[in-house]
Amino acid sequence: MRGRDLALGAAGLAAFLALGEAVPRLGLVKEAYFPPTSRIAGALGDELAEGAFWTALGDTLTGWALGLALAVAAGIAAGVLLSVVPYLRRATASTIEFLRPIPSVALIPLAVLLYGTELRSVLLLVVYAAFWQVLIQVLYGIQDVDPVAEETARSYGLGAWARIRHVLWPTALPYVMTGVRLAAAVALILAITAELVIGAPGLGARIAVAQTSQAVPEMYALIVVTGVLGLLINVGARTVERRALAWHQSVRGEVAV
Amino acid sequence: MRRLFAGLAAGTFLLATAACGSSDSGSSGGSSSSGGVTTVKLGLIPIVDVAPVYLGVRKGFYEKHGLKLSITTAQGGAAIVPGVVSGQFQFGFSNMTSLMVAQSNNVPVKAVSNGTTSTGVQGEDFGALTVKKGSPITSAKDLEGKKVAINTLKNINETAVRASVRKAGGDPDKVRFVELAFDQMPAALDSGQIDAAMVVEPALATVKSQGGVEIASPLVDVAPNLTVAMYFTSTPYEQKSPEVVKKFQEATAESLAYADSHPDEVRQIVTTYTKIPASVLARVTLPKWPAEADRASIEALEKLGERDKLFKTTPDLDKLLP
Repeated sequence: MRGRDLALGAAGLAAFLALGEAVPRLGLVKEAYFPPTSRIAGALGDELAEGAFWTALGDTLTGWALGLALAVAAGIAAGVLLSVVPYLRRATASTIEFLRPIPSVALIPLAVLLYGTELRSVLLLVVYAAFWQVLIQVLYGIQDVDPVAEETARSYGLGAWARIRHVLWPTALPYVMTGVRLAAAVALILAITAELVIGAPGLGARIAVAQTSQAVPEMYALIVVTGVLGLLINVGARTVERRALAWHQSVRGEVAV
Repeated sequence: MRRLFAGLAAGTFLLATAACGSSDSGSSGGSSSSGGVTTVKLGLIPIVDVAPVYLGVRKGFYEKHGLKLSITTAQGGAAIVPGVVSGQFQFGFSNMTSLMVAQSNNVPVKAVSNGTTSTGVQGEDFGALTVKKGSPITSAKDLEGKKVAINTLKNINETAVRASVRKAGGDPDKVRFVELAFDQMPAALDSGQIDAAMVVEPALATVKSQGGVEIASPLVDVAPNLTVAMYFTSTPYEQKSPEVVKKFQEATAESLAYADSHPDEVRQIVTTYTKIPASVLARVTLPKWPAEADRASIEALEKLGERDKLFKTTPDLDKLLP
């Protein structure tokens, strides 16, 4: 089953790459603006041989990882706090709904004003975007706690800490994991967007330089790298999720069938 | 699972420390001084125009004047002006119209050194109004009712294109301006999405290589030797550290003069901070880099800008210019 999925996935990718090669070669789009796969692959090879590329990759991953870590920590802490104190939850509900849809990129002028074109500007945007993903999931997760289970735990005399450990956390964890997975993808997108627009060091800034330099194959090569990065991050997040929730029926069920 | 988390955490930490070392050396903000050398941050756009500064650093002109430049590249003036005003950078690079707009809005900017000057030669400038190969449009007058791409609306290139249309006897109000990044203009022009484009190098070289035709040199139409962009600082910084500003001016003047007389070295240094392919770079028209800004040309640009209603109040050039 798994082998077949992998083969199908590879076939899909191969077909896509072949299409990328054929479209410019057949003259459907101009080669100068959309180079065929083989030329992009060549440019990618040149990129991988450059030290500056790896520094940029490191910068992007730093922005992503730090931003994600901050957003997850803050999201979980805020989510638990808001759930535990109902007054707080009611007082902040409208504020959260107001702030959540504001696109992070709209904060770029603010980020530049506060932090210039450095890592901290990227972090501001990444954390802002990823925080809501986690927070909302944590809020839903804690809301989902079965009141009967909660009451049972209370009547068995479990303390606050034990209730969090045995009732609240196992219920909320699948939601938290979903939040983290969504946040991981959003954080990468925002890290690269911030670099692209502000010019903070990283892959995004490298893409922007390639763009303004009319270096089209190099630009697409770097875009491919960001795509691969997104894929790896998603696979990684799913693996972490599966391991963390190995006991949960959503994951267990998948394996048993 | 616990091991996995520990691994992830350790990896994150390592990446963080590694990259902090490479990208962010020490604290940001104000300039620091040690052993007679002052470190200043300069915000630039990674384009051909700023090559003299990179060349000046390599040639040791800034070092000679006791300055160490820490160059930060940003994608456009939108990041550089607020960066300088908020003190993230001590100096920045911006086009003249943006500086005049900032000044007329009471943003405390002060131009200090010349940046880039147009070549002043019709048909041989680093910026041009271009049309597709075989286009029926042959002069700027024909642009009435047509779609013309410029990089930023209500800025220097709109003023320049309007000047060209007026000069050719047309009505600039009848031109439909659309905003498009320079690098996207060649493709848009080629596919017929726009009728004309105001491009600068290196996109201009790409347009020419596709047989695109120049119909006007808008920057030349504004004034003979138009000062297109300048290096600037914030007024508070200029008042606080006049000696650093003076050093920057001297070193930059030297760098500009050197770049102007060594075009081969300019083309070489450009490859260190852009990705312009060698084949394109060889065909790029370089701007002029006189050490001094041309006040008469800036006044002409201001007059046209006022006519195009770019400024809320008349910019005070005595306050803005060095």
